[in-house]
Amino acid sequence: MMPLGRDVIEVDALVTDRYLDSLLASRDLAPGAGQGLAEGIRLAAERLTRDLPRFHPSFRFEERLARWLAEAAAAMRLPAAVGAEGEVRVVSVAPPEMPAGFDPLVDPRDEGEPAPFSRPLLLGGAVAASALSLAGAAFVAWRRSRTGGSPMARAARAAHAMRGRPV
Amino acid sequence: MARPVFRTMGAAKKAAPRIVHLDLDRPLVEAARQDPARFEALYRRYLAPVYSFAYYELGNHHAAEDATARTFLAALTNLHRFEERAQPEDGAGASTFKVWLFRIARNVISNERRTARRHPAALLDPTTAAIIADPLNVEGETVRRDEASQAWRAVGRLPGDRRRALVLRFVDEMSTAEIAGVMGRSEGAVRVLLHRALRAVARDLGGRR
Repeated sequence: MMPLGRDVIEVDALVTDRYLDSLLASRDLAPGAGQGLAEGIRLAAERLTRDLPRFHPSFRFEERLARWLAEAAAAMRLPAAVGAEGEVRVVSVAPPEMPAGFDPLVDPRDEGEPAPFSRPLLLGGAVAASALSLAGAAFVAWRRSRTGGSPMARAARAAHAMRGRPV
Repeated sequence: MARPVFRTMGAAKKAAPRIVHLDLDRPLVEAARQDPARFEALYRRYLAPVYSFAYYELGNHHAAEDATARTFLAALTNLHRFEERAQPEDGAGASTFKVWLFRIARNVISNERRTARRHPAALLDPTTAAIIADPLNVEGETVRRDEASQAWRAVGRLPGDRRRALVLRFVDEMSTAEIAGVMGRSEGAVRVLLHRALRAVARDLGGRR
């Protein structure tokens, strides 16, 4: 009988969870384990238990990171020894750096949302700056070609005439 | 309807709550807090699980190493911010340091993937992994590799949260309570997530037999 007020999926999920507990706790399951569980789910669970390997990094990486951690630990101990408690500074360590403003203890925003300082913004800024420079150059060239007697046109012509002369 | 009250008058004074320390890593964490150099014991204990998790998430050994390094360095420098929150219902094997560490790993990986735009489903491939082969049983090993490859691909095709929950459950052998802590979800939600993930894998594998 289905318990009142509980969704069918939650009951199925609970049965699956119990089965996984026993499957992962002991490879030799007691007969009858997984009763009430769909055959496909039971087989999939057994496949994943058998086929998903664990990985270990290379020994070289393990020792390199151990060295970085030891250096960081030494740097953390040093300020306390000289009476500057609370000031943590890592010196002579070259591990990958954390992005500015990233707090590893705070959940980042969901994947798919743009980062606050994403690459398109930087590209956009560069394009805008280039566009302004090009517009400025075009304006000066246009003023130089004009024969008008405005101060700006005279200055542009004078500047152009000065180019290439020895100083 | 009024809720039943089970506490009797004066019971609070008599029955002082017994503090049960469930975090298996407590002595190592305390030692590392006093002397950061002793963090190494925690590092050696959790290096492979964190690296495995990162590799499954990022599908690339270099990226996994990078994320692993960031995770442990962040854990070391933020150890003073760690708070033990083990509950009796988490079980005797519960380790809140482990959950805290994996939360850091998850955040680091998530940040790395977002900035690098890596797609684990495309990269997760057992041919890139060093699965130890049995040279005396080449035929059996080929079948075994093929089956492993199918399972990997089925897991790689899952949406992020389902894949993550499955890897934490099967590879890192975490309890539902621990996965809930790592993923910031309720235990019920994690159970449903795992059930749905297994159902999808079952469909996937069933259709490829």
